[in-house]
Amino acid sequence: MSFSWARARAVFWKDFLDLRKNPGLLASMGALPMMLVVVPAGVVWAYARRPDDPNLQVIARYYDAQVSGEAAARFLIDKVLVDWFAVYLIMPVFVPILVSSFAIAGEKERRTLEPLLASPVTGLELLIGKSLASLVPALTICVMAFGLLCLAVNFAAGAAVLPTSMWTFGVFVIAPLFAFFGNGVAVVISGRVGDSRLAQQLSGMTVLPLVGLAAGQFGGFLKAGLTYYLLITAFVLVLDVVLLVAATKLFDRERLMTKWG
Amino acid sequence: MTASVAVENLARRFGDRVAVEGLTFEVNPGEVFGLLGPNGAGKTTTVRMLTGLIAPSAGRGSVCGYALGDAALRRKVGLLTEQPGLYDRLTARENLTFYMRLNEVDERAAWPRTLKYLERFGLGGRADEPVGTFSKGMRQKLAIVRTLVHEPNVVFLDEPTSGLDPESARTVRDAVAELAAEGRTLILCSHNLAEVERLCTRVAVIKNRLRRVASLTELRKEGLALEVKVEGEAAIWLPALGRLRFKPEGGAEGSKLTVLLATEAQAPDVVTELAAAGARIFSVTRAARPLEEAYLELVREDEGAAA
Repeated sequence: MSFSWARARAVFWKDFLDLRKNPGLLASMGALPMMLVVVPAGVVWAYARRPDDPNLQVIARYYDAQVSGEAAARFLIDKVLVDWFAVYLIMPVFVPILVSSFAIAGEKERRTLEPLLASPVTGLELLIGKSLASLVPALTICVMAFGLLCLAVNFAAGAAVLPTSMWTFGVFVIAPLFAFFGNGVAVVISGRVGDSRLAQQLSGMTVLPLVGLAAGQFGGFLKAGLTYYLLITAFVLVLDVVLLVAATKLFDRERLMTKWG
Repeated sequence: MTASVAVENLARRFGDRVAVEGLTFEVNPGEVFGLLGPNGAGKTTTVRMLTGLIAPSAGRGSVCGYALGDAALRRKVGLLTEQPGLYDRLTARENLTFYMRLNEVDERAAWPRTLKYLERFGLGGRADEPVGTFSKGMRQKLAIVRTLVHEPNVVFLDEPTSGLDPESARTVRDAVAELAAEGRTLILCSHNLAEVERLCTRVAVIKNRLRRVASLTELRKEGLALEVKVEGEAAIWLPALGRLRFKPEGGAEGSKLTVLLATEAQAPDVVTELAAAGARIFSVTRAARPLEEAYLELVREDEGAAA
């Protein structure tokens, strides 16, 4: 049967509607973005409040010995915002996982998979519909969180420190690739296990490398910048292609019906 | 007349395990056909093959003229699974809209007839309520309506009353009977003999392989049930039946003794043995054989051979 956008849209419509009626899941999707806005805004506010604090010079010189005293606050603000992007990237990976973990495992749990697969929908339509239902809200949340972050940070800094070209590129190019990765991992795992909670837990582990990178940056072991993020992005792009191939193969009607858990 | 469903030597294996094999039967348009067998007999596997959910390991078949494995087949069939499989947070209307869209039916044309089904099954006033608030029986009835949104030619009903309380089971059976009255081809999977007896015209008895395809009348005619009216309590003459070399199964109720025989030729031996034991026999009549007996005999064939 040839591909039908109408059927893929129907799957998206149903999953999106189901998500809108799930306040618990919506709350958990909103919690992480709030934290990602409030924490850096608070740190920037702390730096901007007392720019002549000698302790700021000590901290700044830990990262760069050349930083002069009066420039320490601005250096730290810029540094925290560059490093924070690694933490921000947790959001486009994690939010789709919250939704996509239920993609197939949830259908299995609710016993809705069999009637669904008995309909004319194809595996690819199912994959696209379910992925869109996860990616559209995730990316919307990411962009909205970025908008809020800009407002909050600029207000806290008392100056226009965001958006930078790196952040803009990151939010609109890198974040979608990371979201695609998070969604792909969750969809593949969800198709292989019979329990959505297990799918969520296993998929959630994919954010650990990002946490590690952020820790390395804040610890001064890794120096973040546009080139650094581009390298990570290239790696994720390769993973995206691998996941897309795996998910397409996995979304085979017979495989979904017979490979339970 | 082209058969709605035709299968020939259909089989399905899962690794080394044979779920079902040697299935050959046809279902005519407008027929209510039963797939009868105990749990694990391969009924659900058969339905999954016929609805295009899984591929057969061997054999071939067609549904509505489409070969098994042809994706277009799924547009022509409706499947009611054992569990209703509805989305609890969505309303009945949203659940049905989803399946209309998956089947790419014209929603404006489909809704009036779908609302009629909802009305008929007593769900008319509940269309905009979340399905999570529905009782089991209501959910199963809504699932039946869902199988009909695209006007399928053949409807598969897999254990439609399994796990329902008697009242819900009855409403679902009534709903199925109404679909049958509309002239649809229905294939009913069940191990509930009363349900099959009430709804089906022909059955295929399956226990990992096809045991028999026959009408219910034919099945009942095979073998013989003898009703013997005796003086006093009939139960005291049951041990006498055990002395017969063919050891017939028997039951007693008041002064009536029911003896199940394989052939008519065994009847005189029964009467002779009872008379020899001292029974005063008032009448001997041939009775309709319960479907249960014919069914159990077919599904126990292997046990008999093994013994």
